[in-house]
Amino acid sequence: MGLLSILRKLKSTPDQEVRILLLGLDNAGKTTLLKQLASEDISHITPTQGFNIKSVQSQGFKLNVWDIGGQRKIRPYWRNYFENTDILIYVIDSADRKRFEETGQELAELLDEEKLSGVPVLIFANKQDLLTAAPASEIAEGLNLHTIRDRVWQIQSCSALSGEGVQVTCVSDDWMCK
Amino acid sequence: MFVQVCLYFYCKCLWRCLKFVVRKLTGRCELQRICYNTKPGAARTMKIEASLKGSKSKRLQTSVSVHPDAIEKTIDDIMELKRINPDINPQLGVSLQACLLQIVGYRNLVAEVEKLRREPYDSENPQHEEMLLKLWKCLKPNSPLKARISKQWCEIGFQGDDPKTDFRGMGLLGLYNLVYFAERDTGIAQQVLSDSLQPKYRYCLRVEKNYSFAIVGINITDLAYNLLVSGALKTHFYNVAPEAPTLTHFQQTFCYLMHEFHKFWIEEDPLDIMEFNRVREKFHKRILKQLQNPDMALCPHFAASESLINM
Repeated sequence: MGLLSILRKLKSTPDQEVRILLLGLDNAGKTTLLKQLASEDISHITPTQGFNIKSVQSQGFKLNVWDIGGQRKIRPYWRNYFENTDILIYVIDSADRKRFEETGQELAELLDEEKLSGVPVLIFANKQDLLTAAPASEIAEGLNLHTIRDRVWQIQSCSALSGEGVQVTCVSDDWMCK
Repeated sequence: MFVQVCLYFYCKCLWRCLKFVVRKLTGRCELQRICYNTKPGAARTMKIEASLKGSKSKRLQTSVSVHPDAIEKTIDDIMELKRINPDINPQLGVSLQACLLQIVGYRNLVAEVEKLRREPYDSENPQHEEMLLKLWKCLKPNSPLKARISKQWCEIGFQGDDPKTDFRGMGLLGLYNLVYFAERDTGIAQQVLSDSLQPKYRYCLRVEKNYSFAIVGINITDLAYNLLVSGALKTHFYNVAPEAPTLTHFQQTFCYLMHEFHKFWIEEDPLDIMEFNRVREKFHKRILKQLQNPDMALCPHFAASESLINM
């Protein structure tokens, strides 16, 4: 079920487009991740007003990635982008411990959204290049991820800056396709 | 492919022959002809730049990247190489020098701006902190900041309680630009900020129609930076800077872009903030189009720049 079945469906009909929604607090690294996925330069990133969108070709899939700004005042607009989402990617700044509670609340609210019910969620524990970053296991525990029962989920440590973990996830996405 | 290569060399050969014939007929080299026939400003400097870069002489090719102190010597070399008698053509040396100062100055400005952009905001650095606090004081002179880490920063359009994370890829350049705008063009900056804080309503429901001042300042810094690095700003700088364009020119351009963007945003009347990137892209294209006109100067409206306009 969940991610497995969706991706199985994808496999049976190649060329299918996958709509990926990238969410998370401001400064989590969503735009950097988006650019990293699209193999673009990541040295000129500015805070996102509104949203960015990129289409990435990956192993026969067309991934349409929507990166929505994480600023508090933009968060009410997230819901406008829920429709037809195939995968939700939620990005967390693993070094920003002070806002773990805030990010947990936002994630919990997303998981309660009707339009996102059953949508597989991939959580990126980003910024692992920083010494102060919390490991993915600690974040998973802090956010009570193990209580998620209604969908497929996965947490993945990564550094959008160095690209580490980002491509691995593409591979594991891919692995789940099969 | 082969045909294209042949065509390229054929055209190049034809161009050289044409230049040779014109030179023999008029008794003037290309540089002289440009200076005599084109009025000073971007039109002339850009032609001179293209001529120098396309020259077959190494000395002329490298002249566009000499150190500013070596420009006089370079001009003498060019005159000698082209066998131009400075006593008969006294104005030519002056004109060429002005052009070369602009060309070399632009290259150096790109390097200076790039260096600032690469320097990340560091909250351990007292100078950086001082500038950040200055930004607050200029924009909000009547409401003191209660703490360095404070939700108040959102009032001037940063995303959270500590602006340091918002500078990101634009580094100190974003802060320098914002402080310049707030300090030198205070009236307009405060006006743009206060417009961006007015609540907007549609069918009695509040909508986020306003952009956030500070982070849009960082975003417009990116736009100005791209215009500079791509060379699009040459038109503007060669028209307004009498000699080498400086960081001040760049910052004045930023102020102009902030003000223009603000007016553009109001004209476009977007549904809400989510249209930001669409409007920004449209604005970018409009500025690029304006800069294609060699007579174009993005004249900042405020007094500080009046002495710099050299038209």
